[in-house]
Amino acid sequence: MSRYLLRQLSLLLVTLWLLTLLAFSLGHWFSGDFITNTSGIFPEDIRFAETAEARAAEAGIVNQYTAYLGHLFRGDWGLSLLDGEPVFEQIALRFGATLEIALIAFVIAIVLGIPLGVLAALYFRKAVDHTILTISLSGYSIPVFWFAQIAILIIAIQWGLVPIAGQINPLYEITPRSGSIILDILLEQPEHMTEALHSAFLHMILPVCILAIMPMMLIIRLMRNSMLDVLSQNYITSGYAKGLSIARVLWNHALPNAMQHVMRQIGALISLLITNTMIIEVIFSWPGLGSWLVRSIYERDYPVIQGGLLVISAVILLITIALNIFHAWRYPQVRKDLYGAN
Amino acid sequence: MLLDIRNLTIAKDTPTGRVNVLERVNLQINEGEIHTLVGESGSGKSLIARAIMGFLSDSWHIQADRLWFEEHDLLNLTAKQRRAIIGVDIAMIFQDAKSYLDPNLTISEQLQEAVLDQDLTGGFLARRKQRKERVVQLLHRVGIKEHSNMLESYPHELSEGAAQKIMIASAIAHRPKLLIADEPTSTMEPATRQQIYRLLAQFHARYGMSILLISQDLGAIMKETERLTMIYSGQVMESGNTRELLDQPHHPYTEALLNTSLYRQAQRPPRSRLPTLAGTEPSMQHLPIGCRLGPRCAYARPKCVQTPGFSKKRDRGFACHYPLNLEDDA
Ligand code: SF4
Repeated sequence: MSRYLLRQLSLLLVTLWLLTLLAFSLGHWFSGDFITNTSGIFPEDIRFAETAEARAAEAGIVNQYTAYLGHLFRGDWGLSLLDGEPVFEQIALRFGATLEIALIAFVIAIVLGIPLGVLAALYFRKAVDHTILTISLSGYSIPVFWFAQIAILIIAIQWGLVPIAGQINPLYEITPRSGSIILDILLEQPEHMTEALHSAFLHMILPVCILAIMPMMLIIRLMRNSMLDVLSQNYITSGYAKGLSIARVLWNHALPNAMQHVMRQIGALISLLITNTMIIEVIFSWPGLGSWLVRSIYERDYPVIQGGLLVISAVILLITIALNIFHAWRYPQVRKDLYGAN
Repeated sequence: MLLDIRNLTIAKDTPTGRVNVLERVNLQINEGEIHTLVGESGSGKSLIARAIMGFLSDSWHIQADRLWFEEHDLLNLTAKQRRAIIGVDIAMIFQDAKSYLDPNLTISEQLQEAVLDQDLTGGFLARRKQRKERVVQLLHRVGIKEHSNMLESYPHELSEGAAQKIMIASAIAHRPKLLIADEPTSTMEPATRQQIYRLLAQFHARYGMSILLISQDLGAIMKETERLTMIYSGQVMESGNTRELLDQPHHPYTEALLNTSLYRQAQRPPRSRLPTLAGTEPSMQHLPIGCRLGPRCAYARPKCVQTPGFSKKRDRGFACHYPLNLEDDA
């Protein structure tokens, strides 16, 4: 296991290093001045000379890269070209907001998707199975942005049940600290806390639900297929031969083994979730990483693009590696089969 | 009578209509008896075992005059009643034992599952402790001394023989009255096979456990077998006491099998070729009418298009219009 752990960690480090290399190169590849692209300080600015010095503008590319790394590790990721806000602090703040809806949506997708998938497998080719399969197929084929627009149109505008956009009614004046609105409310302890939480909840409900749909449909189908596969395995038969009840066979043998296949796909699922989160954030004006990054791309806000891409790629990378390690730790025979290590 | 099967017919719906994969099968097993069921692969012998265990899904149509275990009618059991028998009084081991072990659980976890709650006493912790002790005992009983290593192993780390021993340990956890062994050794080397058979014979002798052994090779059966049943293409051809049946087969199928197996090699001139049964086993879509052995039988005559009934002569039974070796009785 330790050998495998080391391999995964070295993979992580190498990839992270390549990522910084790419982010650094972007500063050169973008049109405009390298110093402005990476630091967000315009040549007209009085701080420009000083910044150029710090970023080793004249000292050759290798020195520039080391200077870039130094800034990166110090958390000095430059300023936004648009509003002059420091990129690193913005990322820290918006990351929380993104994580909040992505995480809740993911949990909903898992909590609903897995039982539904199991149910479909248990009622294979019966009415229950057909219904679940039809819903999941249509849910999967409807694009997220279209779904979101329709939901806003009907639920928010027509029926007026929930607000259209934003994180919370601005009248509550919550100071963003973590970016996650619920955490922020709890940290702030405003006068009308229950009402504030209620407002936040109403704002959140639509984006989170729409975000949850696609991963949930995927989980349903993954779970159904892997469950069908597992249920036909011999060790399920031997469970019944031991005289175990159906519930115990399912819980002890079928579910854990079926989850193994699903776990292997979770990484891909999370990438999909992150992409969809960006779309949802733009549509619902959710102040997260995604809407910010999309805006930065439209406005050619180079420091933001650089920092944002770095963070999102790093997050996906970290999740993938964490999942790999989890997989190897939880399923010993996988470790053996794939890597020959113990 | 421990197990009593009369006229068991199992059918499956195919695109061309319903096919009797198993036709009017009779099988009786007494307490403390080792009974071997011999048939080629696809002859439906495993189907009998699965019908006893209740493993067949709804797509199979099961019909029988009797399918009884002791005083229980196995065809009409609730799930709960079945659980009181399966895994308790009837246990089963399988071919390719490794695939019957959950790849994600340690051997200890899987064996603990086989220990029944009713055999334990005390509170939760006491039961847990007893469970673990039982598992170690079980391992010792199947001849695995290095139990600490084995307990923490995963199935992929075991050899085929060790995996089968684990299956046996799991099967005998509650000292079943009947153990069904579905080709438990067909993928093993002869030495390992003998080990497994010795183990089974030992439990047979010690607990008086009956064994229904299923085998596709007449040359690889347990030497302790008291009775044999020959099955071909879903029909029972012949059954009876092992010695008598092998010495004086009444049925052409048994005769042919004996000739093709190494069993009678001593009687043949050295280096002669093994005679074989002409043709191949019929597929389920093209079953011959009447005696299913007909197209391959050296003794077949026109009458054989009628299904022969199952005749009984003392404790021998056979289904053939023209039985062999019966002159002395006639
Ligand atoms: S009934 Fe006829 S075909 Fe069948 S085994 Fe006897 S002799 Fe052969």
